[in-house]
Amino acid sequence: MSNGVADLTANGSELDSSVFGDSLWGKAFLKFRRDRAGMWSLAVVTAYALIALGVWTGVWGTSWADVSGAKWAPISAEHWLGTNIIGQDIFERAVFSTKTAFEVGLVVAVLATVLGAVLGAMAGFFSGSWIDEIIIWLMGVLDSIPFYLLVAAIAFSLEGNPYAMHIAMISTFWIGTSRLVRGEVIKLKSLDFVEAARATGVNQLTIIFRHILPNTFHILLVQATITFVAAIKSEVILSFLGIGVQDGISWGLMIAESTFEVLAGFFNNFLAASVLMFGLVMAFNMFSDALQDALDPRTVSG
Amino acid sequence: MEILQYSVRKLIAGIPLVLGVTFISFLLMVYFGPDKTYELLGKNPTPEQIEEVRRELGYDQPFLTRYALYVQEIATLNFGSSESSGELVSSLLARTIPVSIALITPGFVLGNLLGVLFALIAAYHRGSWADKFIMGASAVGMSISFLIAIIAFQIIFSSNFGLGLFPVRGWNVHSFGDYLSYVTVPTLATVFVALGYNTRFYRAVIVEEMTRDHVRTAKAFGTPPARLFYKNILKNSMIPIITRVVFSIPFVVISGSLLIESYFGIPGVGKVTFDAITSGDQPVLKAVVGLTAALFVLAQLLTDILYRAVDPRVSLT
Repeated sequence: MSNGVADLTANGSELDSSVFGDSLWGKAFLKFRRDRAGMWSLAVVTAYALIALGVWTGVWGTSWADVSGAKWAPISAEHWLGTNIIGQDIFERAVFSTKTAFEVGLVVAVLATVLGAVLGAMAGFFSGSWIDEIIIWLMGVLDSIPFYLLVAAIAFSLEGNPYAMHIAMISTFWIGTSRLVRGEVIKLKSLDFVEAARATGVNQLTIIFRHILPNTFHILLVQATITFVAAIKSEVILSFLGIGVQDGISWGLMIAESTFEVLAGFFNNFLAASVLMFGLVMAFNMFSDALQDALDPRTVSG
Repeated sequence: MEILQYSVRKLIAGIPLVLGVTFISFLLMVYFGPDKTYELLGKNPTPEQIEEVRRELGYDQPFLTRYALYVQEIATLNFGSSESSGELVSSLLARTIPVSIALITPGFVLGNLLGVLFALIAAYHRGSWADKFIMGASAVGMSISFLIAIIAFQIIFSSNFGLGLFPVRGWNVHSFGDYLSYVTVPTLATVFVALGYNTRFYRAVIVEEMTRDHVRTAKAFGTPPARLFYKNILKNSMIPIITRVVFSIPFVVISGSLLIESYFGIPGVGKVTFDAITSGDQPVLKAVVGLTAALFVLAQLLTDILYRAVDPRVSLT
């Protein structure tokens, strides 16, 4: 319908909408593209992702564990950011840690969002029934245990498992997503298209997962970015407490290492990890905000 | 009377939550927690000795029996003494909880008050440079890890490389002056980190309230801005604010600030609990878990009663 109008008015944004359609996603894409802060943050996140990809494929960051210089060597052409207490190159370690951050962030964000979506949708669709009651009870219980204590308990009960930290984060980070999805599904399930599906005899699980859940995807995407940031930030604290990354190196482990160094007046390790981490978290937060603005149906539909 | 009836009903409704928290803690911290058999045995134990110790620890009992025993000990407040220090759990908690509260309260209060204040300024000048500046600063604050903030503040205020004004670590409080000198740097770090999140949250709440019709009507009737802000906007925003504040209280009391306590070597309850988890000190764990669950049920009750206080439309039934 809007195609004809768009051709007549020949207005830039109208033309765009004829290309990308009138859907939430089409409009959100256009809105995001006009958001300068959003585009910049996306560029920064992409740059970090490329660094991580390079580490993962073995292009760079391979010698993070080698002892290649003197203790606390200063910044030089050989060691761009100096070396740490045992002579390992800080730049290499900071670069390798980018991969660790993405690994933790992606694993936790994807799995926690999927878990939150499934449980939230079940609770919302069967709201008021025992399924809903159990899921709400579980969320309340997990919410009432202080996060770091729960993580510590999970980490110690899975002694030595390198994924203990991931499991602990997933088992708490799904709750926020789940609450939002539950609310949205309660709204959606009374709409006509669900009624129509029900009337034509579509199986309940198909209604939940094929008809309703795809309509909450804009919430899931934003929640996944929020979870990603939360996971990276928690990793730093958990690694400092000794229940985080078990093998390899991460920004959290670098900062933990540096807590003694800073009191001796050696700041390179601390600054390298902090600045890199700040850049990624800041960019991801801005990206998340821009995404949220672009996907907010209240503003998109206007 | 109505409130009392309501409270009793609410406390009974809190039982499933308490059971859930104790169950998960039992599962993670006791059933799958550290095995203490070999700590209590000497070198080269015989199979009989191992059997003996396992029986004493109750490891040979079935799962449900052990859980029932665990709940029973929590319910009867029978915690005994810490296994690692031998100190009575009650005196251990009486010693450490006040430290955590003293440590965290200034940061908690300031973080929330300043958060509401900045949120009001930002919301009032929505879209202006003040709003942009406050929200930009919040975004930066939210992106800085708590640990990084702690270390940075320690370098700046406490170390020889910075101002060197405050003690680097520890908690040796004998007077109010001591207290101020030890609490300042942790408070600054806490406020710095909490402020971004709080301001953003409170601004969203206040902006939502400001765009409501009743505010527009009140404005049209010529309500003075101060009154409009206090009576029409702030008062109506209290419900989400209360929820956020009250539900943080159990965490403030129980986990204190584990990170601050471990970083600065302060003997608070967060550190004690963390050590209890890592060493499997069950008497301490039971007490803390029981206390957490109870505080949560109380927090729920408190929020409901406070909702009633700020919004007469809310009924306690």
